[in-house]
Amino acid sequence: MTQPTFEEAQRELESIVERLERGDAGIDELTELWERGEELYRICAAKLEGVRGKIEELAQSSDTPAGPG
Amino acid sequence: MKVEATEIEGRKVYSVRAFNGGLASYLSRLPTLWIEGEITELRRQDRWASVFFTLKDPEDGACLAVQMPRGQFDALQLGLGDGERVHVFGRPELYEQRGELRLKALTIERYGAGAHLAALERLKGKLAAEGLFDESRKRPLPRYPRLIGLVTGKDAAAKGDILTHIVQRFPPANILVAETAVQGPRAVASICAAIGDLCRRGADVIVLARGGGSLEDLLPFSDERVVRAVAECAVPIVSAVGHEQDTPLCDLAADVRASTPTAAARVVVPDLAELRERLERSRDNLHRGAHRAADRYAQRLATARDRLSRAPLLALERKRARIDTVYARLGALSPVATLDRGYAIVRSGEEVVRSPGQVASGDPLSVRVAEGTFGAIAE
Repeated sequence: MTQPTFEEAQRELESIVERLERGDAGIDELTELWERGEELYRICAAKLEGVRGKIEELAQSSDTPAGPG
Repeated sequence: MKVEATEIEGRKVYSVRAFNGGLASYLSRLPTLWIEGEITELRRQDRWASVFFTLKDPEDGACLAVQMPRGQFDALQLGLGDGERVHVFGRPELYEQRGELRLKALTIERYGAGAHLAALERLKGKLAAEGLFDESRKRPLPRYPRLIGLVTGKDAAAKGDILTHIVQRFPPANILVAETAVQGPRAVASICAAIGDLCRRGADVIVLARGGGSLEDLLPFSDERVVRAVAECAVPIVSAVGHEQDTPLCDLAADVRASTPTAAARVVVPDLAELRERLERSRDNLHRGAHRAADRYAQRLATARDRLSRAPLLALERKRARIDTVYARLGALSPVATLDRGYAIVRSGEEVVRSPGQVASGDPLSVRVAEGTFGAIAE
């Protein structure tokens, strides 16, 4: 399985929680859901912690003089 | 002021200072009068004693420099901007040091809308009629942008402000900055190109940022080409141009309008602290939910087991109850109970006697009572 995006992982985690709270998860699934939930939590947390985004400057296509501003 | 000339080789020669002084004193005798024109190049700074602008003839572009003490200008509270048509009451004056003529303004009155404003209103009406500003065109911004495109002036304060706020709020943000001219003749083409470039480079949301400025400074952001580029941008676009009171047309065409760099950051990235909190809450709920679900199953199991252990006894009791019922009904039907109450069954031979006609005098009868049978003879 490819690594989900933060948003996908968050959504899946929250839907697992909802299922557990609704009480319609089969008993055989409980462990599975728990483990998947924990994994999703770790994925989300890793994406939030210590990750610095990149700030890049787009190379200028033309020699545009800067205006004040 | 007396203007002294020097005689040099039979020629009257004036020093520049003397000439300027003389001219200034000549000009000061001219009357104070009203002049109509359009304000351009308005320059006002808090640390300056005077406000400067150029009064332009809307017909042929003839220009006149105007100066007004800042206190008086501010007291008028006209909120004047470039492009506005005004009447200025003043008199000509010479700035002696530079020999420059200018009008010293005593008061200013607004006169009609400037040509720019009128043109802007016309363009606004036209684009609105095309539906470019319709609410239905507004797209939601991505909740977690992969790449934020930022269009801004080089080294602009707006750029630093927005970058700082975005990174503070959401450190993982990826930002691609396109620097452009934001005023002057090349601004329009440069801004349009930057929007296109950022889309091609994979930005999934674009912020168009420009600090405050005069109406004229912000004109590129009301230019039809820029407004159309914003409206047709392939990804959602946030306009953070000018201040609250400015409404360049690109604001109307953008999907979201932000009045400050902070506001722009708030709409474009989620808050990391809030995300973390929400994530921790989810995990707590995951654990609690799983425990509760497991408890529910255990509870159900215990109940089932309990019922199972009591089942045989229950079944037996039900059977006994059924037998008792049947027995009672049987008893009710039996003649024994009736005989107990003193009734008798009379038989003649094998037949039960129900009518006197069944027997003749002297017939032997058999009489059954509750506790036995005895013989009798009919009379």
